[in-house]
This record gives sequence, C-alpha cells and structure tokens, in this order.
Amino acid sequence: MENLDAARLQMAFTLIFHIVFACIGMVMPFFMVISHYKWLKTKEEVYLQLTKSWQKGVAIFFVTGAVSGTALSFELGLLWPEFMKHAGPIIGMPFSLEGAAFFVEAIALGFYLYGWDKLPEKFHWFTGIIIGVSGVASGILVVAANGWMNAPSGFDYVDGTFSNIDPVAALLNPAWFTQALHMTLAAFTATGFAVAGIHAYQVYKKRKVTLHTKAFKIAITFGAIAAILQPISGDISAKDIAKRQPVKLAAMEAHYETEKGAPLYIGGIVDATTQQVTHKIALPGMLSFLAFGDFNAEVKGLNEFPEDERPNVPVVHYAFQVMVGIGGLLMLAGILYFISLKKKKWSGNAKYWLFFVLLAPLGFIALEAGWIVTEVGRQPWIIHQVMRTKDAVTPMPGIVVSFYMYIVVYTVLSVAVTWLMLRQIKVLNTQN
Amino acid sequence: MLVVVLFFLIFSLYLYVVLGGADYGAGIVELFSSRENQQITKKTLYRVMGPVWEANHIWIIIMIVILWIAFPVYYNILVVHLHIPLTIVLLGVTLRGVAFVFRHYDAIIDNTQRVYDTMFTISSLITPIFLGMVFGGLVSGQLMITDDIATTGFYDTYVQPWCNPFSILIGFFFAALCAFLSAVLLIGESDESTAPIYIRKAAIATIVVFIIGLVTFIYGYSADYLFVTGFLANNYALAAMGVSGLLLIPLWITIKKGNKVWSRFFAGLQVFLILLGVLMSHFPTIIITATSAPINLLEAIAPPSVINVLGISLIVGGVVILPGLFHLLKSFKMIKILERKA
Repeated sequence: MENLDAARLQMAFTLIFHIVFACIGMVMPFFMVISHYKWLKTKEEVYLQLTKSWQKGVAIFFVTGAVSGTALSFELGLLWPEFMKHAGPIIGMPFSLEGAAFFVEAIALGFYLYGWDKLPEKFHWFTGIIIGVSGVASGILVVAANGWMNAPSGFDYVDGTFSNIDPVAALLNPAWFTQALHMTLAAFTATGFAVAGIHAYQVYKKRKVTLHTKAFKIAITFGAIAAILQPISGDISAKDIAKRQPVKLAAMEAHYETEKGAPLYIGGIVDATTQQVTHKIALPGMLSFLAFGDFNAEVKGLNEFPEDERPNVPVVHYAFQVMVGIGGLLMLAGILYFISLKKKKWSGNAKYWLFFVLLAPLGFIALEAGWIVTEVGRQPWIIHQVMRTKDAVTPMPGIVVSFYMYIVVYTVLSVAVTWLMLRQIKVLNTQN
Repeated sequence: MLVVVLFFLIFSLYLYVVLGGADYGAGIVELFSSRENQQITKKTLYRVMGPVWEANHIWIIIMIVILWIAFPVYYNILVVHLHIPLTIVLLGVTLRGVAFVFRHYDAIIDNTQRVYDTMFTISSLITPIFLGMVFGGLVSGQLMITDDIATTGFYDTYVQPWCNPFSILIGFFFAALCAFLSAVLLIGESDESTAPIYIRKAAIATIVVFIIGLVTFIYGYSADYLFVTGFLANNYALAAMGVSGLLLIPLWITIKKGNKVWSRFFAGLQVFLILLGVLMSHFPTIIITATSAPINLLEAIAPPSVINVLGISLIVGGVVILPGLFHLLKSFKMIKILERKA
C-alpha cells in the first residue's frame, strides 16, 4: 500500500472511531442531567438508578473519546507534518480553545462522577450541565478547524508561502457555522436514536419496563427534535457548498455536465469512466432549486473542473445518498414519536418498540456518511485549493504498519466498550 | 506575548511531568507490588487519581498544541523524526486510560479485572519509558535532519535517534521519576497500616532514580554527549541539580514525620529543579542533531499575530481553568494546604 493511501485510511479509520465516542460523550451528559433533575424533583428511585447507570456510560465513552482524541491530536502531525507546519499556526486558535473547553469538561466530569454525597446537590447537578455544554463547545471548535480546510481564510498565499496570518479570521471561516450546526444536530440525532434504541430493546424484551421507558423518552426527545431540525441545517449547508465548493456539490449529486434546471438524482449507480448514472430517480429542476433557490439556476458539473481536482465521485455520491436517506427517515421517525405521545395505544404495541430498535444504528451510519461526503468530497485537497493531500503526508515510509495497528487496537476497543455496555444493562436490569 | 506562550509551554510541561508522571507512576508502583498490596494500591489509586487523572493528562495536549501553533518547525521535527516512539506512547496512553476506567466502571467484577490490571500496569510502565525516549531522541544528538532519506536509510533516520543506549537510559530515568513521585503522593493517602508500603516504594524509587541518573551522566559524559557536557559545564544547571539532591534530606525528614504537604512540595520542587537545570543549560537550543547545529526553539516561530492570539487564548483559558482545577484538586484532597487540621 502506498504511504499516502495508508495515511489516509488510518486518518479516516481513527476519525470514524473517534467521532462515535466523542458524539456520545458530548450528548449523553444531557440525558444524564435530565434524569438527574427528575430524580432531584420527584425522588423516584428509578431516576437515580438511571442517572447512575448513564453516568457510567458517560465515563466510559468520555475516556474512549478522550484517548482517541489525544491520539488524533498527535496523528495530525504524525501523518500530515507538512500540513501542520503551515496550517498549525493558522488554525491554532480553535484547537487551543478546544483544549480549554475539553479541560473544563474533564474538571467538571471529575466533580460530577466523584461528587455524589460530597458536593451540595445543586452544585453537583450543575457540574453535569457543564460537562455537556463544554463537550458541545469542544465539538463546535474542532469543526471550525475542519471548516477552515474546506474554506481556508485568514492568510495570504503567495508563491507557496503563507503570510499575513490572522488566526481570528481563520477561526471565523465561512464554512464553520454551517458545518458546526449540521454536526451538532447530527450528534444529538445519532446519539438520541442510538440510546433510545437500546432502551427500546429492553422494553421490547419486557425488562424493567418503567425504567427503560423513562430512559427511552429522555433520549428520543433529544434525537427527535434534532432530527426534525436537521433538514433545515442541511439546506443551509447545501446552499453554502454550492457557492464555495461547487465541485463537491457536483460529486455529491454525480453531475458531470453543467446544466440549467439541473435535476436532483436520488440513488443511482455511478460509472465514473462513462460518466453515466443509471437506475436513478431524477426530479427535474430540484437540484437547481435546492442549491440556489431557483428552478432554472445553473449548476456546475464535474467536467467544468480539471480532472486532477475532482474527488472520487461514486464514494461521495453514495455516502451522500445514505446520509440524506437516513436523515429523512429519522426525521419521519421523530415526527412519529411526537404523534405517539397523543396516541397512547401505540406504546403498548411491541412493533412500536421494535421500530425504534431497528433505527438505533442508523443515526451514526448517517453521521459517518456525512463526514465521508465532506472529507472525501474535499479531495484531492487537504486545504481547499491551497495544498494537496499528497504533498502533506509524512516522508516516513511504512505508515501501513501503524494503520494495521490502529485497526486492531480500535476494533478490540469497540468490542470491549460494547461488551461493557451490555454488562451495564444486565446489571441494571437485575437491580431492584 | 512570546513570554506568555513560553511560560505556558514550560508550565504545561512541568505539570505534565509532575501530575501525569505521578499518574503513570501509580501504575508502576502497582506493577511492582505483591498481589495483596496491588489490591490496596488499586483502591487508593481510584480514590486519589479517579477524579483528576483525566485532567492530568490534558497538559500534554496543551503542550503539543502550543508547539504546533507557535513553534511549527520544531513540532515538525518531533512528529516526523520521532514518529515511531510517539505512536507507541499513544498506544500506551490509550490502553492505560481505557483500562483505568474499565476496571472501575465495569458493572460486573470478575476475572476480567485481571486483564484490565495487567493492561493498566504494563502500559503505565511502557508509556513513560517511551516518552523519555522521545525526549532522549531530541537531545541525544543523533537526529538526521534531511530530505534525502534514501542516503541516510530508514534505521538511522527514524530509529537510531531514540533507540540508543542514551535515549533508553533517559526513558528509564523518567519512568523511575514517575514511580518516585507517585510513591510520595501515595504515602499521604494511606493510613498507618499501609503507609510503610509506600515509604519503602519511595525509598526504592529514590535509589533507582539516583542510580539511573548517575549512569546516564557517566555514560553521556564518557561518550561526549553535548546534552550532558553542556549540562555539566553550566554552573546554574549544576547548582539546580545539587539543590535538588540536597532536598532529599528535608524530603525524607518530612516523610518520616508524616507531613504530607511538605513531602509533596519537596518532591515537586526536586522535579522542578531538574527541569530548570536542563532548561538553563540548553534553552532555547533543545533539539541536538547529528546533521546540523542544534535547533533553536525560538527560530522560525509563528508570526506575531499568531503568537499574540495564542497568548491571549492561553491567558483566558488559564483564568477559566486553573481555579476550577485547583478546586478539583482541593476537593478531592490532592492538595491539602487549605484543609483545616482536625
């Protein structure tokens, strides 16, 4: 395997892993503090059990997210030293602020986990809020760095050198807001549906129905609201990409030719050599409308761009289809959940619970697919139209070895964490 | 602002060595304990380190972020040439972090605890050794800064600088230092029946640190390592080292008297003096290479606009974080200064 491919695969693999854990670690504290709040209010024992069980989940996911994040902060340099040499100073600000937010989170987590019966009740509860808020803040700040790679700003690039560096302008890059909004909602959707699905399964199996129903409701409420809001954010993102990275939009939609009144392709099989998309559903004019708010607007096709500046079209197209498809499904599921609050009979039906069990992994699949769209869609650039990925990779040969090592270690970790969660649930179900 | 940035860099380095070091050391102490004492140490560790260990390990992230933002060229050498030991460090950090949490949050206590314990203790030993080797790689004078890897060869470019007797000695020195710090910390957390365990560990660790340190110096001096000869030629560095050695006397007096606050203070001060000595003799030319003159940390730094913003961020971050951190350490009795005597 080429060094560049190995480095890209390692980066992709470690990010895919980290994103799951970071998202759960960022969103679950909110579930935990809601349950904790209900315990303080109602003094119903089941809320205390739930809070303590979720807090163990938070601790396990936080540490897995934290160590894989530590690894990533090094990997940026270990794999892409040329990128970091130039970009490091420019995008340092989001990273240093992220470091601060992460630090606050770790401190708050220390207080929360070990503060039971030691700290004043309200202060203890409040440290839980800080865990959640600083977690979301770290996520948003890290996305700023990624936004910058898509929309580089805050410097002048002349003859291969970076000058007039303005770290604040780099932080406030044009892609930040849309990406951060989309990612935050995605994190809530994915975690909400995943956690809800796990508890739905317990209800489906008729284990500790009261507790798991309460847990389900807390998690699904966050997930459903986020899933319903997500299409709005998706629309903002699409319009933004149409303007800033038209080649990425063209790849997402597998549009090779520039056209007015461009149709929106749903599904389809891409043949990159013949530039044909077969088996698709085409909605006339819809792409132009979604990208520019005008059914007749011109959408640039891939052939407008030099061949060596295009991403891998099939990968980006399929990933985009998966993301949008699941996003739509989860939005409907979210609406369905709110309707079910009125239709009390539904929750007596096993199929209702089974439905949410089946949805459990989908949010994360969509979230990963979304990252594949934005990351693969940016290729061949590591910094959009400034630096190519192949020019950033480490000169040290043999990265393939560390790639395999990460695969083994992270696979084992994923299995271990899943297994720990199953044991957690098992114990929870046997408690009185 | 450069001064602020340098202050936070050295401050983070120091805190990482002391706090992160004591944390690694705890695993080392556990590793070298009898099975019965292991269980005692495990419980003490959970109580002492549990609330703070994650915060302790963020200092290395702060350090690395400061390096890449403000000193990109320096950072570049670190990540390109010391890729292999750094990857091993990351592996160690990952495994011990998850093992520490798994063993306390696993809902069912059974034989898997042994797997977690082994993972935790072994990686607690290996990680600081490799961290020390990374530092050894920077200062051993064997780094080949070159674009022409074909001529220098893979081994000489990417392995030899950190995998040589001198770097390995520094690795073991750091691991021993970690164990020493941790033993001193744990003495203060134990009761009358268990304190002798840690006093013995602290004594052994002191001797090991001294012996490895001495061997490193003798080896480095006889093989004419610039890092050692430069250190020995600097009077301030020698003075710092001497005072650090002399502090062993008050340290042991306070340990015998059971004065936790002062014994921790002296141990922390000793490490500070060692670090100070190193910085005095070599700052800012910390990277010693085989191919060119030593590389100056302050050469090729980021432009002032970057340094200024970083400095402000660090001050703001420090104002937010340090009181919280202090409160955390105080609440869970890592700092006993403000505790009223019963």
